[in-house]
Formats: sequence, structure tokens, C-alpha cells
Amino acid sequence: MFIDLHVHYYPGITIDAWKMGYQGLVLVRSSEESPSNLKGSKKLLINNKNSDTHGMDLSSKISTFEGVEIRAKNPEDLKRKIQKFRMRTDVLLVHGGDLKVNRAAVEDPRVDVLAHPYRGRRDSGFNHVLAKKAAENNVAVEINIGYLLRNRNHRRQKVLAQFRELVKLKSKFHFPMVITTGARSLYDLRSPLDLMALSKCFGMDKESSFFALSTVPKAITVNSQLKHNLISSGVRLLE
Amino acid sequence: MKLKILPTHLREKKRYLAFEAISQLPLKREDVISLLWDTSLHLYGVCGTSKFDLWLVKTWNCPFTGDYRIRGIIRCRRESLNEVRAILPTVTRFNGKKVVFYTRGISGTINSAVKKFIKLKEEDE
Repeated sequence: MFIDLHVHYYPGITIDAWKMGYQGLVLVRSSEESPSNLKGSKKLLINNKNSDTHGMDLSSKISTFEGVEIRAKNPEDLKRKIQKFRMRTDVLLVHGGDLKVNRAAVEDPRVDVLAHPYRGRRDSGFNHVLAKKAAENNVAVEINIGYLLRNRNHRRQKVLAQFRELVKLKSKFHFPMVITTGARSLYDLRSPLDLMALSKCFGMDKESSFFALSTVPKAITVNSQLKHNLISSGVRLLE
Repeated sequence: MKLKILPTHLREKKRYLAFEAISQLPLKREDVISLLWDTSLHLYGVCGTSKFDLWLVKTWNCPFTGDYRIRGIIRCRRESLNEVRAILPTVTRFNGKKVVFYTRGISGTINSAVKKFIKLKEEDE
């Protein structure tokens, strides 16, 4: 069962993803959008059902979840936004790239995914300290293939090197890792089996790339309910 | 004089990879070939690409509303199947317009690749 953990909604996404071989999608919205919109991605899907799927019923074949990508200026801002959005959504992603935000994200067990910690950087934005924290708090680190494909030539090789560094850290510290497409249109979607073949280019073996596309995202979507009540690791709020 | 062809056990084993390309511009066979070669050279270089024995067997145009779709079959060496498969997701643009390739399936003969992945019945679409 393949799940893409980071896609943005557009009309017809479910049928495209299903044809490519996905059985699950997490429709991600930015935290900057107005709060009334945040609950809407699933609603949009239901409203546009017929035009999206050409009249076919795909709900049994492909499951959809909602996600929020938090854009934070600093760790305090991040904390506040996690508090705000954790209860409202299935999957919580953090827009990485800034070192302080990366650090704060992996230290918070309520966060599900740290998205592209290498974004706009020369290094991977990740080191052994953050890797240890991510493994402790069970925060997944995202490898965004869309980011690789949007860049060209020497920039692209740089991105591959950043991915390779993450994979190296992962093999030592065993934090969860997910491979996503970050798609905004049909032209950004890629078939999961093709991505498995591509992941060899940045040093992932077949087994771990399969995990990153299926088992880990599935565990995240299942555990999201548990994370709602989490205070710190091992401490859960009981009703 | 023509060379005698190799005995079967000395020939390279092949695999056939059925793909579909979706694009904003209509693609011809020549365009697909140049796209594949360019991306492969970009990703693996001359040395890597020489090992693949890459060949575009045939393409079919698919009638479809909206974007242009084309299906086709790529031949490659059996040992380098995964590397060839990794070329497909890295194709992004053609003449400044967007294009996406994805694998529909892999087969050992052209015949079964066409039957299983190219010419589908209406209800399977």
C-alpha cells in the first residue's frame, strides 16, 4: 500500500494518483491559509467527486487524509501553531529549512513530519544531534522528490548530495523517513515504483525506500489519532 | 558479408518497459527518444548510458480528453532495468512545457507488454 504524504489538492488528483499506483493521499494545506479553508480539502473532494473521478467511485480504493504544513518564523511561533493545528488535522508537517525551526520540530513529539529540512540551504540542514532527537520523538524526515525535479543541472546534483547525507544519517540513527512528491498538479506526480528505482541514486536500498513510501506513511496516518493527546513522549492525556 | 548473429546464450537478456507520457504538447516518437536520451545522459552520463542498451521500440497515441497522452515500449538490458526505470521520473520538461512519464509495467516480451499494459479494454481504463 503506497501513500503519498505530501500533495496539494487540485481537481482530479485522486484518479491520477490511483492510476499511478497510490492507495492513499495526504492533502496538505499551508498554515498561512485562512482557518475556514483548513477543514476544506476533504470537503472539496466530496463536492467535486464526479468531475474528479469521471463518475467512478474510488473511495474504497484510495483513502485520503488531511494535513497542515506549518510555516513558522521561529521556534516560539512554531510551538503556538502546533498547539493550534494539532487537534484539527490528521497529519502535521513542519516547513523546514531554517535551522532553529528544524531543531524545534524534531524536539516536539506532536509533529509528524519535518518537511524538506534542506530547503534553500547549502548543507542538508540536519546533523547527528537532530537525527537523535528525531528518532527519540518519532518525527519523520521528508525527502521531497518535487524539490529535486524543480532544480536543474548543478543545483540538482547538490540536492542529491543533500538527500544522500540524510540517508546516511538515517542508516545510523534509524529515524523514520518518508519519500513524497509534493505535487501541485498532474505533472508533479510520479509513480511510487519509479521513485523506488530513483531512490537508488541517493543511496537508499530497495527495502528502505519501500518502507519510506508505504509502511512509514501508513503508520503516521494511523498514529495521528494517538498524537492528538500526546503531552511528551510516553505521557498521554486521558479523557 | 553479414555477421552471424550470436548464439542465444551469449545474447544480452532484455526487458521491455511499458510507459505512458502525459504532456501539454503533442509528442512524437522522435521527441520521446530525444527526451529519454537527454535525461539519461544527464542522470548517468555517457559511461552509464552505454550500459543500458536503451531503445524505444514503438509508440502509440492515446485518444484522451485534456492533455496529450502517448504510450510506448522501451527496451533495455535486464540487469540495468532499475536504472532505466529511474530515468522516467526525472523527465520534467519538453520545449518549455510540462511532461510526465510513468511506468505502466515491465515484461519479458514485446507481445505480452502490448497485451497487458498498452492496449487495454475499456473497462480497465
